[in-house]
Amino acid sequence: MAQVIADRRDVDFVLHEQLNVGALSEHEKYAEFNKKTVDLIISEARNLAIKEILPTFKEGDEQGCRLENGQVSVPESFKRAYDLFVEGEWLAMPEDPEYGGQGMPRTISLAAADYFNGANYAFMMYPGLTHGAALLVEAFGTERQKKLFLKNMFTGKWTGTMLLTEPEAGSDVGNLTTSAVKNEDGTYSITGNKIFISAGEHDLVENIVHPVLARIEGAPAGTKGISLFLVPKYRVNEDGSLGEFNDVVCTGIEHKMGINGNATCSLTLGGKGQCVGELLGEANKGMRAMFLMMNEARLLVGMQGFCCASASFMNAVNYARERVQGKNLLQMMDPNAPSVPIIQHPDVRRMLISMKSYVEGMRSLLYYAGYLSDQVAVSDDEAEKARLQGMLDLLIPICKGYVTDKAFEVCSTGVQVYGGYGFIKEYPQEQLLRDCRITMIYEGTNGIQAMDLLGRKLGMNKGKPIMDLMVEIQKTIAQAKAIDNLKDYAARVEKALNRLGEIAMHLGATAMSPKVMSAFAFAHPFMEASGDVVTAWMLLWRGVIAATQLEKGAKKKDQAFYEGQLKSVQYFTQAVLPITMGKMDAIMNTCEAAVEITEDAFGGK
Amino acid sequence: MEIAVLLKQVPATESLIEIADGGTTIKTDGINWVMNPYDELAVEEALQIRAADGGTVTVFSLGPEKAVEALRTALAMGADTAVRIDPQGKPMDGLSTAKVLAGELKKGAFDLIIAGHRAVDDDNFQVGPAVAELMGIPHISMVIRQEVTDGRIRCTRTIDGGTLVLETALPALITTQRGLNEPRYASLPGIMKAKKKPIDTRALSETGTDPGEPMVRTIAMRLPPQRKGGRIIEGDSATAKAEALVKALREEAKVI
Repeated sequence: MAQVIADRRDVDFVLHEQLNVGALSEHEKYAEFNKKTVDLIISEARNLAIKEILPTFKEGDEQGCRLENGQVSVPESFKRAYDLFVEGEWLAMPEDPEYGGQGMPRTISLAAADYFNGANYAFMMYPGLTHGAALLVEAFGTERQKKLFLKNMFTGKWTGTMLLTEPEAGSDVGNLTTSAVKNEDGTYSITGNKIFISAGEHDLVENIVHPVLARIEGAPAGTKGISLFLVPKYRVNEDGSLGEFNDVVCTGIEHKMGINGNATCSLTLGGKGQCVGELLGEANKGMRAMFLMMNEARLLVGMQGFCCASASFMNAVNYARERVQGKNLLQMMDPNAPSVPIIQHPDVRRMLISMKSYVEGMRSLLYYAGYLSDQVAVSDDEAEKARLQGMLDLLIPICKGYVTDKAFEVCSTGVQVYGGYGFIKEYPQEQLLRDCRITMIYEGTNGIQAMDLLGRKLGMNKGKPIMDLMVEIQKTIAQAKAIDNLKDYAARVEKALNRLGEIAMHLGATAMSPKVMSAFAFAHPFMEASGDVVTAWMLLWRGVIAATQLEKGAKKKDQAFYEGQLKSVQYFTQAVLPITMGKMDAIMNTCEAAVEITEDAFGGK
Repeated sequence: MEIAVLLKQVPATESLIEIADGGTTIKTDGINWVMNPYDELAVEEALQIRAADGGTVTVFSLGPEKAVEALRTALAMGADTAVRIDPQGKPMDGLSTAKVLAGELKKGAFDLIIAGHRAVDDDNFQVGPAVAELMGIPHISMVIRQEVTDGRIRCTRTIDGGTLVLETALPALITTQRGLNEPRYASLPGIMKAKKKPIDTRALSETGTDPGEPMVRTIAMRLPPQRKGGRIIEGDSATAKAEALVKALREEAKVI
């Protein structure tokens, strides 16, 4: 049997050869994490993922979650996997050891998460959301709140969620109506209805901690009047023991296209007037708190989508090597010619190299985002910190929006490689495609990601982050130009990068003009073009390393891998970037039809 | 209790095995290596005994540089120290491996030695019992349950169609069988601690043991035969097909 979920060689390549994460151990903060330790961490994460989490993938989808008498039960197999996961203390890999974290560099935790999420991310959402909710407590909680909640969350004894969405407040979160009324003891009585709450209710652990967005009575309308509250399912006594039920009632669970193992709940808070929350952070600063957590959350969603793509690619390439069907094209006319594995057919190879190059480019991009945040953490130069943080902020909508868009396409191609069997539930491809789909929607739809990129990130700090990023890309281009067999690819990336600069200027200016609506109608195409260029950069960067290693005389066992790297960058720059150039022409045209067309003219009335 | 565990690094069962040129070894490129699954049982059992009775767990492996990974996994699971004996490229069979390991084990004072009953790569079944024999201590194989009291160990072992309860005095060597326990996964804190635990590397030439020349020589290695395709019974009618099938079952397959 071949590799599943993620190609270990590729994971190691990005960690060690591209990003050189071992060097992080030169900093005191990460001194524990030398290369050998990193390798052992990845091996053991992979081991746990393959042996215990992957077997829950299909069962979790088939069983789904059940709601009976307000109690949600998760798929049976999730319990054992969850216990093993938290016993191994994998939940809060990069966090503060004082509160139950492991103090690990984010880049390494992403590589471990690559296997965990690829094994079954619907399962991983239970610990994943707990991690996110705990980060809010860590960032905004009082010492008392940290003491009561944080360790129990980082260790997975309790899980966490995030209560944002309401029936009339989804993308428009400022519209929410959940209210908070201050009690005499300083707590708040919370009343409202929340929907689409992942892991909102379940039977994995004894308590669930809900960070809730609500409006304090009399607070301003819109996002400026939103506060963040900590609302546990069972109240927590001062000694840490569990108190009474806190009137958080699950009134329904959604029946979804994918991630069926994760309970998506409707929750009624304070239906009997008995739901008590405490303020987390300052009053009316709830949205600011959300924004601080956004990079983390969006990077995680990017990982979720990506991991489906990576798993789908591993499956597809292995299937194509084994599945015998049809004759080799060159022997088509010979009735006696043997049937061949489908990997010999040109169209199947086209699909596989497309999947391969996207998966590799996206893995590099996501790990690079983790790497930037690690570099911010170890840098002691304020200007350098700001530069790195700016590039990270700029890349986040691409890591979420572009990556999940492409991940879904890769998963679709992964179905196609299997032919009819790709459509059948006996094989994992269709589930990966279904599971992947939500990543384009939640945690800010990809349309919102595109608007974030164009409207907020591009002009941030007078455009310094994008200039800084371009400088980084140009460095790689310069290295590649010095290598004979990369020259052509480097020139293509350079051309695309320059064109991207032009369309960024153009769209930025258009957004300031009366044609602002049309500019934003091209926000998504702009995000896609930006993502293509960044992916091309990542693949070129990989190509520089691979070409250098081959030149030096790589070990025999590494040769095919490095040659594969050169093929990925060749494919992407020669077969994909020309399409990107066309997309950028379209953006430059900024066709106004989408904005000008009247609502009646859409027809269908 | 001073406990020693013998372990071997083997190709993961998921690995695609190919025979190397020369036909007597396998290709090692691209293989994912893991701790022999029966040895995982041995490490787990040692850790459970230590948790109950105290003491230390030392893991031993005779193997190349790469074998250190399996030792580190054992340390990450919770073993205290590790010893790797480097064979320095010398070919080894089951008996010579046992000689070297027994030589090193005699240098310590172990109350109990635990080994997998076999390594899943070459299914030799020999090293554990041979080590016990060379050390002059009793051995109980295929253990699925054990209990240590007052310097004695009582074990339940599998036999064909049932189990057998055996008891012997310590020091002794036991080998593991599936069902003994459920090996733990290395925890993340365990991995971090493993980094600081010592791995003692000893070159074969420094051990003072001369394993001699291997007494077993591999002459050829073959993959299992490929499964043959099915056969469709031809015939003009259902009756004719049934007749042909019965004939084939009786005369060719000889099953009826």
